[in-house]
Amino acid sequence: MTGAWALLGAVAVVAVIALVLRARDGRVRVAERAEARVSLPGPVRDLLDAGTPVTLVQLSTAFCANCRQTRVVLEDLARRVEGVRHVELDVTDLPEVAADLGVLRAPTTLALTPSGVELVRVGGVPKPDALIAALRPHLPGPIG
Amino acid sequence: MPNEATATKDAPVDPRGPRFSAWITSAILAVVLLTGSWRLLAAQTLLFAMCAFISLKLNPWGHVYRFAVQPRLAPTTEREEAAPLRFAQGVGFVFALTGTIGYATGVTALGVVATSAALVAALLNAAVGLCLGCEMFLLLRRYAPALARPQ
Repeated sequence: MTGAWALLGAVAVVAVIALVLRARDGRVRVAERAEARVSLPGPVRDLLDAGTPVTLVQLSTAFCANCRQTRVVLEDLARRVEGVRHVELDVTDLPEVAADLGVLRAPTTLALTPSGVELVRVGGVPKPDALIAALRPHLPGPIG
Repeated sequence: MPNEATATKDAPVDPRGPRFSAWITSAILAVVLLTGSWRLLAAQTLLFAMCAFISLKLNPWGHVYRFAVQPRLAPTTEREEAAPLRFAQGVGFVFALTGTIGYATGVTALGVVATSAALVAALLNAAVGLCLGCEMFLLLRRYAPALARPQ
């Protein structure tokens, strides 16, 4: 009898997680604080480029199921949109980098300015249109 | 880079295969919950272990998928890396092993809780295509480093 209840409970938990993820996945969250992060971890800071307004830093792990798809989406976005570049950082063996950034899941994508200000953050596979819209104020030319 | 101690490296797979397997795994775990059979759970634990620590090719449901299901589906060029799948099997192994020990030693509550947790993960994979262990790798790494050591 206990088993039957546990079975029902498990199904209910799955339904709740699925709904929460559907709502959150790929959503673009605009950073609240606009000041530069003093403590941006070194491996991330090294990836920034002075000449490009926005660097999309994709944090991946070796065991990440959606990182490949995220890479395809962001590489395509970086090709189409001027002033945006995409880099990927494998944090499998850099857990302290993920912890410093408050990143708990992979893939997570951060949009950073050359000085390391975090503009937006996306967990899961980003929706390209929403991401471009959120970055538009920080980009130079019209979207090609 | 993860260390190179991994026994074999599996080639990327058709992502629908693991979804199919996850449905069967979910069914097995559901039967375990309903019957409380530690033998069935032990068999599933062994299956998890073979897939996680040796090769995904040892998964019998993968072969069923290839011979009975895949020919009936439209081909896809989409491929999924094997490393996340194997990691997920490893997470399943830990829960299934805990559950087996619980049921077999009469600590039924432990068996029920661990099996339910494994069922949640399997069902999420089957129904939503979400690999919970993979998404949560960073979380595991932070709070349970022993569990998330790269294999």
